[in-house]
Amino acid sequence: MNWDAFLAFVRGPLFQVALLIFIAGMAYRLFRVVFLGWRRDRVPASGSKAGGVAKSYAKGILIWPFIPWVRNTFRRNPVIYLGGGLFHLGLFTVIFLGTAHMLVWKSLLGFGWPTLPLPIVDLMAVVGITAMLVLLVFRLTNPVMKLITGPAEWLNWLFVFLPMITGYVLTHHLFFRYEVTFSLHMLAIDVMLIWIPFSRISHFMFYFFSRTIHGIEFGKRAVSP
Amino acid sequence: MAEKTMYEHLRDEGLSRRDFLKACGLLAAAMGLSSAPPVAASGLPAHLSRGPSPARMVARAMQARPRVPVIWLEFQDCAGCTEALTRSHSPTLVDLVLTKITIEYHETLAAAAGYQLEENKQKAMAQYHGQYVLVVEGSIPTGAYEAFCTVGGRTALEQLKEAAAGAAAVIATGNCAAFGGLPKASPDPTSAKGVWEIITDKPVVNISGCPAIPEVFTGTLANVLIFGAPPELDSLNRPKPFYAQTVHDRCLRRAFYEAGKYANSFDDEGARKGYCLYKLGCKGPTTYNACASLKWDGGLSFPIQSGHPCLGCSQPGFWDGGGFYQGQSAPLDRPEVVMAAAAGAVGLAAGAGVAVANRSQKKSAGTEE
Repeated sequence: MNWDAFLAFVRGPLFQVALLIFIAGMAYRLFRVVFLGWRRDRVPASGSKAGGVAKSYAKGILIWPFIPWVRNTFRRNPVIYLGGGLFHLGLFTVIFLGTAHMLVWKSLLGFGWPTLPLPIVDLMAVVGITAMLVLLVFRLTNPVMKLITGPAEWLNWLFVFLPMITGYVLTHHLFFRYEVTFSLHMLAIDVMLIWIPFSRISHFMFYFFSRTIHGIEFGKRAVSP
Repeated sequence: MAEKTMYEHLRDEGLSRRDFLKACGLLAAAMGLSSAPPVAASGLPAHLSRGPSPARMVARAMQARPRVPVIWLEFQDCAGCTEALTRSHSPTLVDLVLTKITIEYHETLAAAAGYQLEENKQKAMAQYHGQYVLVVEGSIPTGAYEAFCTVGGRTALEQLKEAAAGAAAVIATGNCAAFGGLPKASPDPTSAKGVWEIITDKPVVNISGCPAIPEVFTGTLANVLIFGAPPELDSLNRPKPFYAQTVHDRCLRRAFYEAGKYANSFDDEGARKGYCLYKLGCKGPTTYNACASLKWDGGLSFPIQSGHPCLGCSQPGFWDGGGFYQGQSAPLDRPEVVMAAAAGAVGLAAGAGVAVANRSQKKSAGTEE
């Protein structure tokens, strides 16, 4: 098997299978929680639940990231706060506003959107990769982090880092022939797609649930049983 | 009578010494000799292959080696490679290599037809057994579909094997002969194969492309004729002097790719300004060919220069490599909605099952208390 054939495999059948496993796995994770059911809220609320939700999102996305120093989480541990924040910023810029990735979404969803110029996306990729490396060093050195890090956490880091670093090498045509790096990038993504539902990277879905539910709790102003 | 050398043959054709030397310079350039010296297998004395002047090296070789005939077979093809060659705008070179030096048998170009032509082929194959270069254009149907391509009542596979048996080297020109090309595209109705999948006991040189670039073909053929061996080959048996770099590597729009400036449609501002065609489906980054440097029509232009994304026609299976106008980063095809829904349903069922089990476990734990 040459690299062209391997590329066709990782872009074609393997990607399809990975995507289906991803969909099935995420549905499993979601419905496993949903079908556990909610307790009916019988307490009359004096506040606005919807307002609480809106506030919760606004704070989390629009306010705290820009004035981090007022937060305890930042003051206690700026490395995690900044590293984590910049990593997510870099990641989202690259996978939603990078041209090559927009084309992937377009092929899957059927519509595309304007993207950022490559140099900006490239800078954000470097920011994301650097943040990941800093967080890795932090995980390796900080005694508390060492205690709470198990094999799953190392794998999480690895399976997210591989697509990012291969993507960077691919964009800049470094070291290997293009189709080799392209194959490795796609392989890394296929592995990550399969891994996500069974790991805590699935927080990208549950984040919204927890934020909504916390928003409701904060906003309703009622006695909780 | 001793076999006439190539030079003697050309001299008899009326080529002057001066023109001969000029042609040698052209040939040396066409073979990419300055950047890729001929392999040791050429059998030339060492000092020749390290000579300071490639043109001189070619001249000396042509004065020393006999003329080598070419037999050209066509199978499942469109004769586009032949068309490209005969319409090529480098008449001196193509003319020199194809008409003055070599072609002994060519189905499309032959004046004769039918039994006469077949007889000529047999004669040429017998006379030059073990010496001729076999050029194949078009893919070969195999297995149960072998009879889908016949010439003179005999199948392509049979003819290829017969002709390859007496050939010194085999050149597969065009994507069809090299990798199966269009006939092999899904659903591959004739179980088409490239030459190198069938002929394994001889060196097979793949000049892929749709069509093959005439100068690449001629340059490679000249290399085989003059030095008796093909240039250095890559992993897909393509000559390295022409296929070592991607179209992207040499693309005149490369700077726009680096700057992230793309044409979003074939008729927008970016397209008019000549921006990168990556978003319009350009396959340049994974396509190894000399289009961007040699270009077509005597260096006039090539697809990307004229505003069309590269289709990747020199790569195996390019017909099935995703849509021609779909960005290369996109997956080859998306899962059908039914499949995605089915995957979601499987997840739902599993999730619901586990949730129900958890609830009943919780309930029974509650009642036990």
